[in-house]
Amino acid sequence: MKKTVLDYALKVKLPFTVFIILTSFAVTYFVAKPERDGVGYAPEQPIKFSHRLHAGDMAIDCQYCHTSVEKSRHATIPSADVCMNCHAVARTDKPEIVKLTQYYKEGKPIPWKRIHRVPEYAYFNHASHVVNGIDCANCHGDVREMDVISQVHSFTMGSCLDCHREPQKRMPQMIGNINNGPENCNACHR
Amino acid sequence: MDNNATKPRFWKSLNLLANKPESIESTRHEFQKGVTDDFDLNALPDKSRRKFLAVLGASAAFAATACSDYPDKGEIISYNKKPSGVVYGHANYYASSLNSGLGILIKTREGRPIKVDGNPQHPINAGKVDATAQATMLDLYDPGRVRYPVKKSDSKLILNKDEMPKTDWERIDKDITEKLKAASQSGKEIAIVAHSVKSPSQEKLFNEFVLKYPTTKFYTYEVFGNQNKLGAWEKCYGNKNLPVIAWDKADVIVALECDFLGTEGITVEQIKQYTTRRDVDNAQNFNKLYTVEANYSLTGANSDYRLKLSPEYQYDFIMALINEIAVKKSQSAANLDDSAMSRISQYSISDIASKYGLHADKLASMVDDILHHPTKTLVVCGNSLPEECHIAANLLNEVLGSVSNVYSDKYEVLHRPINTLAEFAQLSAKMKSGNVGVLIHFDSNPAYHLPREIGYTDALKSVETIVSMIHLENESSEGSHYILPVNHEFESWGDFMLRNGVLSTQQPVIAPIFDSRQKEAVLLNWMSEDYTKYNHDIYNQYIKAHWQEKVYPSANTFSSFDEFWYSCLHDGIFTWDEVGIPRAAFNAAALSTTQNSLSKSGFTVILTQPHYLGDGQYANNGWLQEVPHPITKVVWDNCAMMSPATAKKLEVAYGLDKLDKISDMIDLTVNGKTLRLPIMPQPGMVDDVIAVDLGYGRTRGGEVGTGVGFDAYTLMNKSGSKIYTGASVAKAGESYELISSQEHHSLDEDFVKDFHLKRHIIQEFTVPFYVEFEDKLEEAKSRLKSEFGDDREAYEKALKTEKIHLLGHHEYQNHSMYPDKEYPGVKWAMAIDMNKCTACNACVTACNVENNIPIVGKEECGKGREMHWMRIDTYFSGTPDEPITSMQPMLCQHCDNAPCENVCPVVATNHSPEGLNQMTYNRCVGTRYCANNCPYKVRRYNFFDFRNDFKDGYYRKDTLELLNNPEVTVRSRGVMEKCTFCTQRIEEARSAANIKGRKIQGSDVVTACQEACPSDAIIFGDMNDPNSKVSKLRNHSLGYHVLETIMVKPNVTYISRLRNTNMEDTHSGH
Repeated sequence: MKKTVLDYALKVKLPFTVFIILTSFAVTYFVAKPERDGVGYAPEQPIKFSHRLHAGDMAIDCQYCHTSVEKSRHATIPSADVCMNCHAVARTDKPEIVKLTQYYKEGKPIPWKRIHRVPEYAYFNHASHVVNGIDCANCHGDVREMDVISQVHSFTMGSCLDCHREPQKRMPQMIGNINNGPENCNACHR
Repeated sequence: MDNNATKPRFWKSLNLLANKPESIESTRHEFQKGVTDDFDLNALPDKSRRKFLAVLGASAAFAATACSDYPDKGEIISYNKKPSGVVYGHANYYASSLNSGLGILIKTREGRPIKVDGNPQHPINAGKVDATAQATMLDLYDPGRVRYPVKKSDSKLILNKDEMPKTDWERIDKDITEKLKAASQSGKEIAIVAHSVKSPSQEKLFNEFVLKYPTTKFYTYEVFGNQNKLGAWEKCYGNKNLPVIAWDKADVIVALECDFLGTEGITVEQIKQYTTRRDVDNAQNFNKLYTVEANYSLTGANSDYRLKLSPEYQYDFIMALINEIAVKKSQSAANLDDSAMSRISQYSISDIASKYGLHADKLASMVDDILHHPTKTLVVCGNSLPEECHIAANLLNEVLGSVSNVYSDKYEVLHRPINTLAEFAQLSAKMKSGNVGVLIHFDSNPAYHLPREIGYTDALKSVETIVSMIHLENESSEGSHYILPVNHEFESWGDFMLRNGVLSTQQPVIAPIFDSRQKEAVLLNWMSEDYTKYNHDIYNQYIKAHWQEKVYPSANTFSSFDEFWYSCLHDGIFTWDEVGIPRAAFNAAALSTTQNSLSKSGFTVILTQPHYLGDGQYANNGWLQEVPHPITKVVWDNCAMMSPATAKKLEVAYGLDKLDKISDMIDLTVNGKTLRLPIMPQPGMVDDVIAVDLGYGRTRGGEVGTGVGFDAYTLMNKSGSKIYTGASVAKAGESYELISSQEHHSLDEDFVKDFHLKRHIIQEFTVPFYVEFEDKLEEAKSRLKSEFGDDREAYEKALKTEKIHLLGHHEYQNHSMYPDKEYPGVKWAMAIDMNKCTACNACVTACNVENNIPIVGKEECGKGREMHWMRIDTYFSGTPDEPITSMQPMLCQHCDNAPCENVCPVVATNHSPEGLNQMTYNRCVGTRYCANNCPYKVRRYNFFDFRNDFKDGYYRKDTLELLNNPEVTVRSRGVMEKCTFCTQRIEEARSAANIKGRKIQGSDVVTACQEACPSDAIIFGDMNDPNSKVSKLRNHSLGYHVLETIMVKPNVTYISRLRNTNMEDTHSGH
């Protein structure tokens, strides 16, 4: 039997094209999944600290613990002695507080699992954002509702730039009070 | 015929050639025998390749399935108890001192030092430190440091650090105190060999140690000390209070074989003072520098006029100069008696000039200038010149009457005279005869530094107990019985007093990284009754007690001692007014005993101080090894510098006619000792003079420093002199790869001759020309003002044309194919004042430290792959005999129309709204198009991950991670990098301004090179701010851009250098 062009198109070209299309979709789907950017990442912490309890119910200001968020590039995870300011007396019998006290007494730092991370060649500056009135929740979500802290927004360069280009979209309450963020490379990379 | 057919014409192996049947058979099969057999995994031997691969594949598959936790981002480790004063991400600064006694400010991040600069409040170095001090940061974290105390029980040499048995301090303290006691009781000497004492507390400790152990004798040495100068001063003025020179007070400086801008003395202070008289806006006030030298030093390269004179004739030259001045000045010279006068009158300057071929015009100009500014002329001899030259120079200053003007009322405090080499020879003899019970190397390396004639290394073998307190293993610690690690200067307490009325403090800024102790504290502990009670604070307490007793009362303060002490620690210094001791009258008799101790014969050898390696103790510091020698640009080596004529005579060469970078070696014989080393023909050297840097060729200098260069200490005889005559040189017939980052163009070749001048890379004028120009410009201004009246724009335009015309430049039209871009906010720009730059390389090293620049090593330097973001280019003009040197710091020019940007296929380099040429590493794919297109050749490519590549990852070892500046990305293989104008500092300043609620200003940012520059030649700021210094310099008449005709619009402005020569001399600029 003589092979026709149609044969070739159906037997070779079509399956090949379909395969490429399917693979592309599959790869794109998995690569673009928000989980890949860490959204929803909520690992178990060495001490079951609840932001809902501290920041939500008791309404302790973020900066009571994250002290240098207005001063420095880093918001900083509090050192154990900050916890002990209260927990030297408060709820000392609870198992998690016993753990905390043990860390503190042994002089060991608490190995908190990291939730939010930008690559080391990106230099995010907390102070520059916070002093300009950008609320923590814009990036970190409403931690007052979280028992276990998790990542809510994507931390890719794309998501940084979305906001730098159109801040009013993410923060409609700040229209008129906020300028576009810088878009030049050196703003973050050095 | 048959025979011919079977014999192959081409053959692959000797077997085939021999027609071996099995070989011919095997060529007919595709695979070798046995290759295609099936294999059974279990039957294979345990570590076969296939089994290994099978296991590897399986484990990779398991690992892949097991790693479902891919989003894991690690941990954030916070403090347990955060120290007060630490804010994450913020630097803390502490005032301290270097062991040289200079004040520093150490920048620490989260408790680790990352950068050092001068303490601005320090009266001596005023906020600046030299290249060596900048790079000592690396020494602190050097993985090769001795990590714990070692006791060596047998006589086996410790060659490998891993072989060292670890011993605890307590056991060592017990051992050594017993040995010290035993030695004291048996009357055997306890010899402690140290560097010169600069600290009052250390001096007190030494004295008290002798009280405790009466047989102790301290031996101090300094290879590059000023013993000759001091000896001469004592003979002339009867005291040892060597005054500090006020370099800024002298109108005319005559430097005789004296490299005060390069290696001698406290160079940062000298550069600063010297260049205050090189202010272009006060051109009338320029000082004039004459050098008379044989070696081509950095001072010679910076001088206005340089006379070439072999060191043997220096004494005659000074005497002749005295004669000339005394006669011409026609007033009775400073209390000179007849006998002195008659001695002097034997020397005639014209005789000497004709005899030794001194340039007559230059000499006449020098005499003329001296006679015009007699009381403001400073004649200064280099430390290497013999004592009689210093005495003669002192006399010359007396004759001129400049002594009271050019010396300040400060003098150098001498805590303890340096021991003579004769005393060291005695020590060596005592060691040999077994009279030394305990020998302690107090952070010193005499086996390497002392002339080998003394036989110190040999004598070491006869000493019962040798204790080496050291930082890194060295030649003297070889065969020591105890090796005790000492703290780095950033881990130590201390106080220093270099001059009267200035005390600097030293405080630790980091706890000892290894199990080391402070050397003074160790002695203190051995003196105490109970050595087990040691703590790290004992020397601090000792210093405090000393201050409370001696310093505090003179402070006359109402605050308590503790308050006083902490305020001193905070400032890093304590100063008080102390009336200088009145200078004694000059003792003319000093001259009568002098005579020229050098006589010319054969070749003359000058042993010079290396620019960056100290006396060799920084050999293990790769940063310093990689800073090019400022004149020859040689890296990772020393060499024999000689004039091109001498090289020709010896039939040796470097590069040129031979293979690139290959240097002929010579056998240099001095004092009966021969050293084989490569040569570098250096224009400007005096014929038959050979200059060799000391401090190289370490045999135990750490992993990096061992075997770098050639040990010229071996050439010294026991006089310790740095100048030797009667040397002989023979061509060794061997060659050596010597890496110089300078392309040595033939100066005579028409095409390349004065290339830098033709291309306007270097533009220079003379002071008289510029003074005249300024007058003409004023005249033109008033003329144009009346001509154009209120039409400001036309006036400016006409003025600009007038300026170009007056400077003799060509006017060219601005034809750019790109539209001008607007920079509405801040626009960053830099100006480099070439009048102030002395090419000291402090900026280059500061840049290395600030920007995490890797060390690439000699081999990669040879391929032109050095990573320095900043370099200093050297250009020669004139003739090879009388070269004129122009040096120019070169860094990324941040061009407005940057040619690198439009060739990047991935837009990894582009322009910021503030005029920075940005480089984004994470975007770079390494095409290297940008480097290819850069006219300034300032882009650097990471051909390797150099930290890994260099010496098997030596600079990636554990402790070195702490060295990195956390604000700058550590670049990896395959990316391009270059100067960023310290964008991290800009961003930090922006954030700080933001927090204060204002916009960033130009004055907020100081770049690392600017901060380090001893002469403040580098100015950085906002060119859009009309009041900023940088915008003023940008519009300065003398301001120009390198290669401005190619219209890339650079943002680095160079201020033309004015040479303070006569009008008719150098005038280059068009």
